[in-house]
Amino acid sequence: MHRQFSTEAGPRHSTVVSGLRNAALFAFLLAAVWAPTSASAAAPAGCAALQTKYPQFKDKQLVNAINPHTPGYEAIDPKDPNKYVGFDIDLGEAIGECLGFTLTYKPVTFAALLTTLASGQADIVISDIYATEERAKAADFITYSKVFDGVLVAKGNPKKITGINISMCGAAAAENTGFVEVPLVQALIPECKAAGKPEPTLQLYDNNANCIQAILAGRADTYVNDVNTVDQAVKANPDKLEKAIAVTIPYSVGIAVPKDKPDFRDAVMAALIEVQKAGTHKALLAKWELDPNNFKEPDILSVK
Amino acid sequence: MSLFVHYLSLPYLIEGIWFTVAVTALGLGGGLILGLVLAAMQLSRFAVLAVLARGYTVIFRGTPLILQMVFAYDALPQIGLKLSAIGAAGLALAANEAPFIAEMLRAGVLGVDRGQVLAGQALGMTPALLMRRIIAPQAIRTMIPAFGNETVSALKNSSLASVISVQELTLRSTQLASSTFDFFSIFFASGLIYLVLTSLVSVIQLFVERALDLDRVAPQGRLAIFLPWRRVDLQTKAKLAEQTAPTAPPHSLLPEMPAPRPTSRSDRAKHAAMVERNNVAVEVTGLHKNYGEQTVLNGVDLTVRVGEVVALLGPSGSGKSTLLRCINHLENWDSGMVRVGGRRLGHSDDGRKLTPRAIANERASVGVGMVFQQFNLFSHLTARENVAGPLRWVHGWSRTDADRRAQELLERVGLSHRADALPRHLSGGQQQRVAIARALAPNPSVLLLDEPTSALDPELVNEVLEVIRRLAVDDGLTMIISTHQIRFADEVADRVAFLSGGSIIEQGPAHQILSNPQHPATARFLSVMEADKAPESTS
Repeated sequence: MHRQFSTEAGPRHSTVVSGLRNAALFAFLLAAVWAPTSASAAAPAGCAALQTKYPQFKDKQLVNAINPHTPGYEAIDPKDPNKYVGFDIDLGEAIGECLGFTLTYKPVTFAALLTTLASGQADIVISDIYATEERAKAADFITYSKVFDGVLVAKGNPKKITGINISMCGAAAAENTGFVEVPLVQALIPECKAAGKPEPTLQLYDNNANCIQAILAGRADTYVNDVNTVDQAVKANPDKLEKAIAVTIPYSVGIAVPKDKPDFRDAVMAALIEVQKAGTHKALLAKWELDPNNFKEPDILSVK
Repeated sequence: MSLFVHYLSLPYLIEGIWFTVAVTALGLGGGLILGLVLAAMQLSRFAVLAVLARGYTVIFRGTPLILQMVFAYDALPQIGLKLSAIGAAGLALAANEAPFIAEMLRAGVLGVDRGQVLAGQALGMTPALLMRRIIAPQAIRTMIPAFGNETVSALKNSSLASVISVQELTLRSTQLASSTFDFFSIFFASGLIYLVLTSLVSVIQLFVERALDLDRVAPQGRLAIFLPWRRVDLQTKAKLAEQTAPTAPPHSLLPEMPAPRPTSRSDRAKHAAMVERNNVAVEVTGLHKNYGEQTVLNGVDLTVRVGEVVALLGPSGSGKSTLLRCINHLENWDSGMVRVGGRRLGHSDDGRKLTPRAIANERASVGVGMVFQQFNLFSHLTARENVAGPLRWVHGWSRTDADRRAQELLERVGLSHRADALPRHLSGGQQQRVAIARALAPNPSVLLLDEPTSALDPELVNEVLEVIRRLAVDDGLTMIISTHQIRFADEVADRVAFLSGGSIIEQGPAHQILSNPQHPATARFLSVMEADKAPESTS
């Protein structure tokens, strides 16, 4: 179910995608022939061709809007707070390296990621944002990762929550403003009513830290978010928090780019394919201790 | 605890202070400029400007700063105005602070005693000069606490810039908390940093308040001497002890003042006859003025010749003060004409109405001095500066000349030893004598005195009357005095004019009218006044 936006979902982009695929495959084969030992090298060989094809992005400095509150994906480096680190940061820089641009970072709230992009204050958003039809009205997405959510609860799971289901009836769920989990929890309201149980309530915050604090302070019973984020929170507070369960969410994580720049979208997509072909994507998943099952070949999600 | 100290000294957080301070400074600086414009628009004579300013205030005071920040950051780029994050935050904060600062400025300006503004106008100060020399110095002093408040609130409000990616203290704290999970240590540390910053603002506020405190002596109030209106010669500054010395009895304050010369009735008559042949100093014809329904002046005709002293008598509300203010053009009138020294006031040669600025210049050149019931001394200036200041600002005198003139006049009114005292450290009688010196300083052709002793305690009346008497008798100054001192009028005035209901019902030689009034209203008024005032009359 969670694959509804991937390859089999849309004829609207299949031509472009398959064309790119072929080009990428060709590039990969070339790379394999010419530099068989460079699979994990910094700039895959196919990137040179892309830089020739898309010279307009070469040597540019682009702005990446991020919500740097998700350790493992994007957060400041505790050892050097002037740097942002994480899987998304590395992936973005690998794509930038492939196309010849560098990135600077603009930290905004989660809800402001796409408005910042739309207003031109940022060029790209690589910030663990799920590509939904709704969000695709504001930006084009290049999806690159499957989504597994974890259900964070207080140690011992006092409310016996087993997932986004009627076990959440009457519970208080902390979420960030704009998160896809918000409508999923809201969708439980009629189910709970039908079952004669109290409705779940939502508490909206601005970042992960606040959601986690809400559980630690006893204000919220659960926080459903990316499983890695949940694992990190449990690791930081092993005697107070636990992961009740991991659930599948029917979305993909995507890189957001402006709707009015299709050449940039296609260039990023092509570069991502190169990065994946070079093995960099999987290497980065391993580096940041993320589940290799997250890996997903890229697609474009674009709606009018 | 060690974590707390670690974060407190973390360069990442410390550097965030710079962004916090930068946004605050942009917001306050921009807000001050915009606030000045808004306040000026609201105080302006033009209604359209006031309405525009009011509209701005409604919008920017009535919407949350966080929305304004997001608007400046995300919406302005849609119209091609792409500011940096700090720029957008500074702009939003400035736009938000401006209405609050404008209200502070407006309250400060309106809080300055209206009488001092009148006195400044009477001395020929233009609106700009009044603002710079009289209103602003006093308003700024009263606004410092409010401005301190505003600074602290702007500093805290700058944390909202975190929503538009300004790397200030709050954003850095939340990011750090997200990546390290040391939520409380980090927020205690950044809270303490904010506390240090706001405390610093309080300290600066107290320091500025202290430095501008007029009651402090010069060596400690070093800052004050850098202000243009306080550049007083330090060497001539008297000690505070002297300034606050209790007021001695009036007569001991007038050592160099000779006793009034006894002037015989025949001398007075001779003087009156001589004056009658002099040129006309003031000519008022057919003066009408209404306040809405109420008629204040109902066709006043009055001619005053050079060297003549005219006393205006009459019950309260009879129009005496209004008549005097019209002669100085501090008030407008509905019809009629006022000429001083042959010049028609309030109109240019081609008959058009003058602007406030032109009227001020006219006052300065025609030379009409005015003394008010409530003294209206500039309360932030010493006695000497009250006299010397307007000479420099309005008449372009040098500091040395103006100070010399002030000293000379203060000597004449018996107050040279209090030259460095502030008005609030002077008795009422002393203040009125300084006010007379101030009015005399530019050598006016006519001196108007509006009930100069009515606000004084009875025991202080004489010292002021003595000064006025000497001006009349020794200096032969042309004066129009509204007064309730019948005996004084009898001794000093050549002529009295009795006002009732906005017109002069009886006028003539002083002694004749006062001893033998023809109009029943005059007689009634005089008998009441004599009965009331007899014990206090002058010797």
